[in-house]
Amino acid sequence: MVNPILLIAVPLGLAFAVPLFGFISKRIEKYIPLVGMLFNLVISLLLISRVLENPIIVSIGGWKPPFCINLVAGPVSILFSLIIALVGLLVSIYALEYIKEGATEKYHMLYLLLLTGATGVVLTGDIFNLFVFFEILCISSYALVAYIGDKAGIESAVKYLIQGAIGSSLLLIGVGLLYGLFGTLNMADIARNISSSAGKSIIPMSVFVPFVLLITGLGVEAAIFPLNAWLPDAHSSAPSSISAILSGLAIEVGVYAVARVIFTIFGVESIFLFLCLLGVLTLLIGEMSAFSQNNIKRMLAYSSIGQIGLIVFALGIGTSYGVAGGLFQVVSHSLAKALLFLAAGYMIYRTGSMDISSFEGIGKKMPLTSLAFTIGAFSLVGLPPFVGFPSKFLIVRAALAKGEILFTVLIAFVLLGTVIEGAYFFRVVQVLYFKQGKTNSGKQEAPIAALVPIIVLTVLIVVMGMYPKLITNILSSAASEFLNRVDYIKGVLG
Amino acid sequence: MSLQFLLTIAFAGAFLTYFSGKISSKIRNFLAVFISLLLVAIVAFFYNKHIENTLYLKFFDIPLALRLNALSWFFAITITVVGSLSVIFSLSYIKGRERTDFYYLMMMLVNASMLGIVLSGDFVSFYIFWEIMSWSAFLLISYNRGPAIAAGMKYIIMSIIGSIAMLMGMLSLYTNYGTLSFSEIASLITSASSGYVLFILILFCIAFGIKNAVLPFHTWLPDAHSEAPSPFSAILSGILIKIGTYGFILIFYVIVGLRIFRGLFGFRYILLILGAITILVPSFIAMLQDDAKRLLAWSSIGQVGYIILGITFGTSLSITSGIFHFFNHAAFKALLFLSVGAVEYRTRTRDLNSLGGLIKKMPITFIGALVGTCGLIGVPLTNGFVSKWLLYKTLILKPAPFLAFVSLIGTWAAIFYSYKLIHNIFLGQLPEKYNNLEKEPFSMQLPIIILSGTIILFGIFPGIPLKVINTIGTSFGFESLNITIWGVSAETGILNTINIFFTVLIAGIISWMLFRAGRRSIPVSQEDSYAAGAYIPKEKYHYTVKFYNPLYRMIIPYLRDVIDEFYYWIANSVKKFCNGVRKIYTGDVGNYVLYIIFFLALLIFIQLRWRLW
Repeated sequence: MVNPILLIAVPLGLAFAVPLFGFISKRIEKYIPLVGMLFNLVISLLLISRVLENPIIVSIGGWKPPFCINLVAGPVSILFSLIIALVGLLVSIYALEYIKEGATEKYHMLYLLLLTGATGVVLTGDIFNLFVFFEILCISSYALVAYIGDKAGIESAVKYLIQGAIGSSLLLIGVGLLYGLFGTLNMADIARNISSSAGKSIIPMSVFVPFVLLITGLGVEAAIFPLNAWLPDAHSSAPSSISAILSGLAIEVGVYAVARVIFTIFGVESIFLFLCLLGVLTLLIGEMSAFSQNNIKRMLAYSSIGQIGLIVFALGIGTSYGVAGGLFQVVSHSLAKALLFLAAGYMIYRTGSMDISSFEGIGKKMPLTSLAFTIGAFSLVGLPPFVGFPSKFLIVRAALAKGEILFTVLIAFVLLGTVIEGAYFFRVVQVLYFKQGKTNSGKQEAPIAALVPIIVLTVLIVVMGMYPKLITNILSSAASEFLNRVDYIKGVLG
Repeated sequence: MSLQFLLTIAFAGAFLTYFSGKISSKIRNFLAVFISLLLVAIVAFFYNKHIENTLYLKFFDIPLALRLNALSWFFAITITVVGSLSVIFSLSYIKGRERTDFYYLMMMLVNASMLGIVLSGDFVSFYIFWEIMSWSAFLLISYNRGPAIAAGMKYIIMSIIGSIAMLMGMLSLYTNYGTLSFSEIASLITSASSGYVLFILILFCIAFGIKNAVLPFHTWLPDAHSEAPSPFSAILSGILIKIGTYGFILIFYVIVGLRIFRGLFGFRYILLILGAITILVPSFIAMLQDDAKRLLAWSSIGQVGYIILGITFGTSLSITSGIFHFFNHAAFKALLFLSVGAVEYRTRTRDLNSLGGLIKKMPITFIGALVGTCGLIGVPLTNGFVSKWLLYKTLILKPAPFLAFVSLIGTWAAIFYSYKLIHNIFLGQLPEKYNNLEKEPFSMQLPIIILSGTIILFGIFPGIPLKVINTIGTSFGFESLNITIWGVSAETGILNTINIFFTVLIAGIISWMLFRAGRRSIPVSQEDSYAAGAYIPKEKYHYTVKFYNPLYRMIIPYLRDVIDEFYYWIANSVKKFCNGVRKIYTGDVGNYVLYIIFFLALLIFIQLRWRLW
């Protein structure tokens, strides 16, 4: 009998143990995040089969919900905690070699805290608790963005901090208003109150204001347009391992929180269409901004905005196919974007520049890394047989299954965004392989510690692309968790 | 033996070849040739077999199926044969270049995925193989670096646009009919409204039209074909663009069906006009080219027009000519690209203005190019004659005078550019720098000889392929043609190559005898005949430069590739627009905070004003 609470408790404990281990030996500390995430991965895998039958509700302190802080490990939460653990583990292996200079023990501690925060956000069933974990996630990422300590890093960290702080305060105000309205912080309980108090059609203004505050506050971290202006700076000036986590996990966790608020807590189906429009807008603006970027990490960061747009669009379709497609896109984007940032990390390290044109001829120097980058890029564009294809397939299918002209037009715009995305990714692939490098200095492959996560991610992308059935079970039950809020409320409150 | 087995060999073979290259290049070369030939043998073994929907995997809950019928067999054998000949040709062409393992991997991956496309029994498999083909072709087109990079980019962008259209079309079919199997959709779509059929047809025609380079979707082709490595140009032009033809045939006659398709007059009319324009304009643009491969590339577009006319016209004679012309074009265009490739391999150039007189240095290549151009023009006793004859017959008998006239004009232009190609490379004066040119290696001669043989063999005995094509036609519901080994005899038109064969033979003997009977010629030096004995600096004197110059001056103003310019204009505007959009992220954190506040205010305002949510 494994308790989901371990998913938070163990990494949290380990995070604060990092400096202590640092006293004993500088060499041990960097293995702590690895151990923590490996533990989480195993626990999450063990929990899957149980969670798919019935969500696990854990009450802390022995009281029954709604009077306690509780964890709800449903299919969605387990799916997310699985991704967090997997990508977190791979990135911590990468960091073994990659993070050598500076305050390493702080890096490892903050890194583990960030992942703890992310896991907490997806597992908790209490909205104030969600706010707390969200803050843990955000604050550790502010610090990690500035880890390199150069001017750009600190500047973008401060920008990120300012915007994140505004988002968090909006979130806090929203939570406060909700508490004032309903006298409870339990998400299921709030949801029950809203559905009983509000009429079916229109939300009263008193509920709408906290709703908007929550959406806006969480939307900042979820990088929904126009709340995402911090992202290109932060993602591009962080160390690459952190960019991988921020792009591959943190913003997805933000999207999770937004989706949780919209689907479960408030259950406002009338806003789905707006969400779709917002998604398409985010997608197009992200892809267009990425289009003529010459800085590889900025390009990847803008591309993340585009992908978030796609995920939001898919969730906004609001059918089980749509939500499943959106969650699948979360998975495929996490894998592919983490891979791209990790691969780009060592390319930047080897060439000493983030300029795409300086990667000319890297395909020869770093064949495996370049291959991995290519596969990640192809996957993001949605080419088979990589994981981006089945997820995009599901989304397009869901949009067309709506049978409305509007959705056909929207999906056409989404796919046009794909063309732009294809254009800039293929440009990089061409630079890697088909441009002659200036210096011809033999192979300079990334070290083993970096290659292991890169190869694992590549293999995952190919395998899941060829055999998407691996996760369709968990996806469909996750989609139904989001769409059946009554079941969620019943499950938690009994 | 099953189809899965065939595809497994094709794909696994590609990767096996790649990894064996890491050990030794000899093993790799052997494996590449062996696997390609093995595929030919296996496909040949499937001759006249019908395999219906063998399921092999599931994509989510959609079953994926493979199937084999006359149509797919005919395409499969063409793909494997042309593919293996190109691989053999590559042996010496690519030797000593960088990244040869990668080259073979992609080459065999393209071939394998094309094989997958024609064997697919449902749209998902079709799409997956289609995309694998697209990106592997993209990587190969870019292989040559330099201008090839831009060409590859153009190709992949247009290709993605096409696949988007296909994805939407196929998922629309899926949401309406709940299945993606070809046979099931074919039986369900009979009840669809003609508007919906048209919607589906247009989406798929965009996808296939881009791959098949039908005007106005042709602009990727001249760049891609000319910049790709020559053996791959042969595959690109010979078969890859014909996968679009396969797609057209599939969607017209297998999915939509002959009965409904014949009813769509307006749609067919537009497509026929597009086909006619695709013949006319590119054939003339081909005349203007000074780059041998670019010339051939434009010619490919022109020839695609004939195929489109053939398969859209919708009579049993026309479909036969369309499918046969697909095969013929695969043979002679592959041959021409390989011949030009051999020339390029030896001389390191493909500029028609600086070549000449290579007939003595590379006789086999010359014969290959000659046979190829004869096929292209449609000279009797080559296979191109048969398919063009069938097409003319159709167009003249079912009176379509405009189309018939355009086809003839297209052939007229083909004569001009073919002669320019042959003359500028092989005839005329040999530039001094090529005096010590070696012959082409055997691995280049072999594919050239085989393809030349095929062209002549099927020109004299067209009945062999026509029999297979006839079964394809009848499977679509066309009435059967009366095929003999020498040709076709039907009420609508008789073709008998044996008569032609003897006519040509006798005419040849007579003219040879006349020639012998006359006075023997005396060889004189070029200065004597051209400059009346005056001295000409040899390097400045090269009379192939500006071939057809007076004609050019006449037609050039009408032959701008307006469509290409239009696409470039779109691309540039998009680029500018994107740069504008990027300015949203000003870099000033004050603005960013305002965005957040505005967003919040906007939502509340909307709710207050309109009460939407």
